[in-house]
Amino acid sequence: MKAFFNLVQAEMIKQYKNYFHNKFIYFSLFLWPILSFVNGYYQFKPFDFSGVSKSISYLNDDTLLSYVLIGYMAMIFFRTLVQSAWHFSFERTAGTLELVYLSPANRVAIVFGNCLSALLGSVWLFVVFLVGIQLTFSNVQIENPVLFIMASILMVIMSVNWGMLLNGLFIFTRDSAFLFTILEEPMEIFSGVKVPVVLMPFWAQAVAAAFPLTYAIKALRMLMFETVSNSEVLRMFGIMLLICITMFLMTLFILRVGEARNRKTGNMALF
Amino acid sequence: MIQLKNVSKIYTTKTGKNPFKRVKSEKLAVDGLNMQVEKGKIVGLLGVNGAGKTTTIKMISTLLEASSGTITIDDKDVIDNRMDIKRNVNMITGGERMIYWRLTGRENLNYFGQLYGLDLNVLKPRIESLVKLVGLEDSIDIPVERYSKGMKQRLQIARGMINDPDYLLLDEPTLGLDAPIAKDIRAYIRKLADEQNKGILLTSHYIPEVEALCDYIYVLHNGKLLYEGTSKMLATQVFDTKKYIFETSELSETKMKAMYAFSDALGASVCITKEEGLHKVNFESGADCHKELMNYIHQNRFLIHNFRVEEADLEASIIELSRRLS
Amino acid sequence: MFWKSLKATFLRNFISQIRAYPMSFFVGNLLTALYSVLSAWFLYHLLFNGKLDDSFSKLAGTGDYMSYVIIGSAVYALAVRTCLNVSRSLVTELREGTLESLMLTPFSRYGYFTGNMFQQTVTSLCEVLLALLICTPFGFSPEAFQPLQFIIALGASLFAFFGMSMMLGALMLYTRDTYISQNTLFIFMYLVSGVLFPQGYLPDVFVKIGSLIPLGTSLEVIRASILGITNTVFTESIVYLIAIGAVYSTIGFISMRRIEEIALEKIFG
Repeated sequence: MKAFFNLVQAEMIKQYKNYFHNKFIYFSLFLWPILSFVNGYYQFKPFDFSGVSKSISYLNDDTLLSYVLIGYMAMIFFRTLVQSAWHFSFERTAGTLELVYLSPANRVAIVFGNCLSALLGSVWLFVVFLVGIQLTFSNVQIENPVLFIMASILMVIMSVNWGMLLNGLFIFTRDSAFLFTILEEPMEIFSGVKVPVVLMPFWAQAVAAAFPLTYAIKALRMLMFETVSNSEVLRMFGIMLLICITMFLMTLFILRVGEARNRKTGNMALF
Repeated sequence: MIQLKNVSKIYTTKTGKNPFKRVKSEKLAVDGLNMQVEKGKIVGLLGVNGAGKTTTIKMISTLLEASSGTITIDDKDVIDNRMDIKRNVNMITGGERMIYWRLTGRENLNYFGQLYGLDLNVLKPRIESLVKLVGLEDSIDIPVERYSKGMKQRLQIARGMINDPDYLLLDEPTLGLDAPIAKDIRAYIRKLADEQNKGILLTSHYIPEVEALCDYIYVLHNGKLLYEGTSKMLATQVFDTKKYIFETSELSETKMKAMYAFSDALGASVCITKEEGLHKVNFESGADCHKELMNYIHQNRFLIHNFRVEEADLEASIIELSRRLS
Repeated sequence: MFWKSLKATFLRNFISQIRAYPMSFFVGNLLTALYSVLSAWFLYHLLFNGKLDDSFSKLAGTGDYMSYVIIGSAVYALAVRTCLNVSRSLVTELREGTLESLMLTPFSRYGYFTGNMFQQTVTSLCEVLLALLICTPFGFSPEAFQPLQFIIALGASLFAFFGMSMMLGALMLYTRDTYISQNTLFIFMYLVSGVLFPQGYLPDVFVKIGSLIPLGTSLEVIRASILGITNTVFTESIVYLIAIGAVYSTIGFISMRRIEEIALEKIFG
């Protein structure tokens, strides 16, 4: 266990030093998410809120800020992890991935360390900003803050598992840029960041179901805007946990099978 | 001991522009290779580009899986005992990849050391001794992107030793290094084998390096083992003659005829040319006739200005082999 | 020298692209445009059931939200594609190891960058046209299309984008970074230039800063020529685009010249 966490720590330190090599990196960490968030907020301005679907009756001028904030906060966790997986795939071209595989290091610890590094290095600043916005400008009162915090923690765990799964996929895919495009952008559209999934056509809901972010946003908005029973909350938390476990098992499978396949094909050194 | 028994590696690729109609093609990179590397010995693996050297090294290191045959290290199969093997083996390649440029040298070594599960109380002193060994004390805390090529290579060597492996796989370790540094590295490699009893497998295109370092050599061609032996054995397998070349004062017709007769009697060949008042004699024989020739020269009172023996060296042997195969 | 450099650069880039067309990049760009439009479509039809606030027509000059967004996404994609590749041409040469061999020659910098721009424009226009075709079913209605106005608007816009790419290129060469600088500009452009919503919704400070970026004006004139919007001062906007293009190109070229010297010293040092 100690060896596992030592390795996680080593990977976190390495990734941090590798990517935070100059102060301009903070542009990407802070400025870009803020600009995206502001962009998302103003996208709602052309519309008449009297037209909002009845099933989202809580959405109006007063609740718009919190509504968009939830979507973007959750998205930034997941997006950061997608980006960390993409960055990790560059290690293939650099040749350092081969050295990681040369060693007996626990592969799960490596990907976990990479994800934690992204989370702790990248996301916290934006989250602080968003929480500040919520507390300063929003009038929305959260009915059950404890449950909301629990849902937020589950969201973080889901995003880490998502990141680990993608790390596994990106390591063994040569066309990671393309994978990045088909995973990151649809995530924003189909996971309910701006438009709740419940309003989407069936095919879009099917796509949404594949993204863990969908469930995270649904849970957070449910707890912020709606009055829900304990059983509904438990059911939602149960689904989120099940998704986490599924993603973790898939990660283990991909890491094992991917490495075995690379040993046969020699593709680790190809890019 | 590293032992390869009848090891083959086939790469399968699918080519073709139509994604629904891809043609499978196979490339036999290594074909039925038998070889071994003992502890305390340096073994060379030679061959032209594409001969299968790097594939062989990667199979031994567990990065690649052999398509057939067995590879064992200290009687442990590399497939069944992968993690154990990884702890005891390391690989050093030439070039500037495989290190993190934005990290300092020390941070790189720290990271890789931790990949091998080394405790900090072991890792820290080991890093210090390795840094001293490769001569990077002054630059170990500078980001690698500012290192010269030679410094990066030296860092690679330190990285390759971080887990104190029993076996080292060196893929062109002195590539791009200037002569004094390369000489130091070679001396260190020799020391690793002699003093620390490490088994070393070395590939290099720099033949004098292989000749100087390797106790035994395997030559690959198109994935097959072409020759094996010491560098002297290899040279005599390729070139079966020895040349004795000397310059002497002018020879009379009689003495020249006698020289030809002498060489015929020994089954050798001789070529005598005149250059600037001296006669140059080029005496070539399949057998070692140093003694007979010396006696003949002494008996006939030849006045010798220069004398040398030319034996085929490894470089000439490899060049001749390549010529024969092309 | 100018024409030779232009032609040579155009051909070189064209040949490279034909031989190794980055299909995944092309599909990625198409998908990006599609996703923007899809996102807007979902907002408009699914969440707000097609109800626009009165302020939209006043600020945008049209009630056709989907056409507004589709044109915005397409022109944004064109601006990004041309800016992206032209601005980082020297940094790309640096990374590929060809900068020194380029600098050894007495090549015309104007010709070089113009050649890059022309080649990139040809490729990008094809990609954007295809993207527009794909997005048409989502509600693109170019019923008031005026070809001459459109060509003038497009030409002036491309010149302005070229100027912007020169400034960006100088910055990239100086910082030897292509990622942070370009993405910061593009994300900012996306927010302040009226790509998905009229600039009038933004606070004044954003609008003022946005006026320095030609994309906003470019979108106004192109939308005017396609959707028949009449609240745009067309001629003045064209003059503005040409002027800003000229100013940015000049500053960009002068800076680039100076920065090249510094960059080469840094490389060899």
